[in-house]
Amino acid sequence: MLDSVPSFTRLVVELAKFPGIGQKTATRLAFFLLRQPAAEAEALAAAIRELKERIGFCSVCFHVTESDPCPLCLDPGRDESLLCVVEEPQDLVAIERSRSFQGRYHVLHGALSPLDGIGPEELRVAELLTRLRPGKVQEVLVATNFSVEGEATALYLARLIRPLGIRVTRPAHGIPLGSDLEFIDEATVNRAVEGRRDF
Amino acid sequence: MNISRISLRQFRNLEPTELIPIGGFNVFWGNNAQGKTNLLEGIHLLGSLKSFRGARNDELIQHGETTCRLAAEIENRGVRRQVELSIGPQGKAARVDGKEVRRPADFFGHLRPVLFSPEEVTLLRGGPAGRRGLLDRAVFQADLTFLDRAREYDRCLRQRNRLLREGRGADQLAPWTEALVSAGARLRLDRGRYLDRLLPLLQKAHRQIAGGEEEVDISYRRGTEADLIDSLRGELERAKQREKMLGQTLVGPHRDDLEFCLLGRSLRLFASQGQLRSFLLAFKTAQIEDLQNITGVPPVLLLDDMTSELDRCRQNYFFSYLRARQGQVFITTTDIEPLLAHGISTARYFRVEKGTLHHDRDE
Repeated sequence: MLDSVPSFTRLVVELAKFPGIGQKTATRLAFFLLRQPAAEAEALAAAIRELKERIGFCSVCFHVTESDPCPLCLDPGRDESLLCVVEEPQDLVAIERSRSFQGRYHVLHGALSPLDGIGPEELRVAELLTRLRPGKVQEVLVATNFSVEGEATALYLARLIRPLGIRVTRPAHGIPLGSDLEFIDEATVNRAVEGRRDF
Repeated sequence: MNISRISLRQFRNLEPTELIPIGGFNVFWGNNAQGKTNLLEGIHLLGSLKSFRGARNDELIQHGETTCRLAAEIENRGVRRQVELSIGPQGKAARVDGKEVRRPADFFGHLRPVLFSPEEVTLLRGGPAGRRGLLDRAVFQADLTFLDRAREYDRCLRQRNRLLREGRGADQLAPWTEALVSAGARLRLDRGRYLDRLLPLLQKAHRQIAGGEEEVDISYRRGTEADLIDSLRGELERAKQREKMLGQTLVGPHRDDLEFCLLGRSLRLFASQGQLRSFLLAFKTAQIEDLQNITGVPPVLLLDDMTSELDRCRQNYFFSYLRARQGQVFITTTDIEPLLAHGISTARYFRVEKGTLHHDRDE
């Protein structure tokens, strides 16, 4: 690294903290910024600053937002009887992109994992139950991931929600659309075959 | 399935080794501690990524070196593939046809070697873990997806054990118990289905080895997936208090024992050394047959020091079985006379001396 240029080194060290970015890519990015006009670098710095200044979490659904409550929670066109629970904001974004869901959301910010010290108190579970209490919600779609932890989280929530007289559902899983069977891992094919349906 | 070329570099005590085996019998012979079993271990690593002696990475690398490289060319129904494994102290990297393989599951299946080591006799008599391992390795060879399910169960188990150790309440434990029940029932189902296929083959092989009188059996939980889910849930319910006290999961496939039976009695408690050997021989023969039924090709066999452990009668059976069978075999032995006496007709002999391989003759 360029030890004689500490400000450069500092940028490389900061960039290398990003997920998926190693030392080499960080150095490339730093050189790229160095060659850019000052205005470009300023714009990036401002964008990063604004991210932390302006964006927070919605106090209702805990999605990322610039205004509280977030536009999704205020949208009158959304079906209030349907609530989708996801692990992370990016999961919500993925579902929104599909335009398949017209209800409201709740972001847990993680999944249960005792090995990582994550229990229900570390997640937005109490807030979820508070939202369900007024009785408007009739169905909760638990769209946590299909990992061991995501499944356990779904089971945990189902046990809490069902006694409230609310229907609990889980997305179907199986073979991705438009994909070739030959490229799919054995475990997915296995589950898809076991969960086959009448045609 | 055949290995048509093997290359080992900086592996254990072996000098750089290039080896062209033949489709039938390949014999590594020489005195003890010269490197014969290391050769088998190398081949086994190329199929399973694991040392059958439970060695760590740094033990596999030659003293004074930083990495070792193992490679083989595998021929399966006219298709040739190159598999390579480099082992460093931090980990293993696998390649198939020059391309890096990320998921271990994509590496397995190219070579599914069946290992037969006389030390495995002690597993029959020892603790439940040894018997489970013997079965689970066989299940996995036949169905590679078993590994994913075993890992899923293991993950549930570790998460649940953490909660038990921390003394968490029933509401937090419940989802992990449910996850454990469905993953665990699935493992028991996999084992049971495998045993359903294996048992007739095992009984047939055992009749041929030991004569008609001694009937063998393996008892393990059977039933539909729904039955197995109910029964595991019940077992966990009954173990609840003890689990709380001891802070770990006490029942489930990770604790199950398999009862190997001879004439309706426990092999572990009542069998003689000779009966144990017959049983193991029959088990391995059945495993080989099953694997061949499933893949359509005879698996590669790795036989470690067979002649010293088997008496004449069992040797006769086993070698006539091997002679009648198609497929590639690698054998280590200190003494080649019994092999010659058993008329191992087409064989390639390699003398192993101080880590060097001498291809000395073809029979």
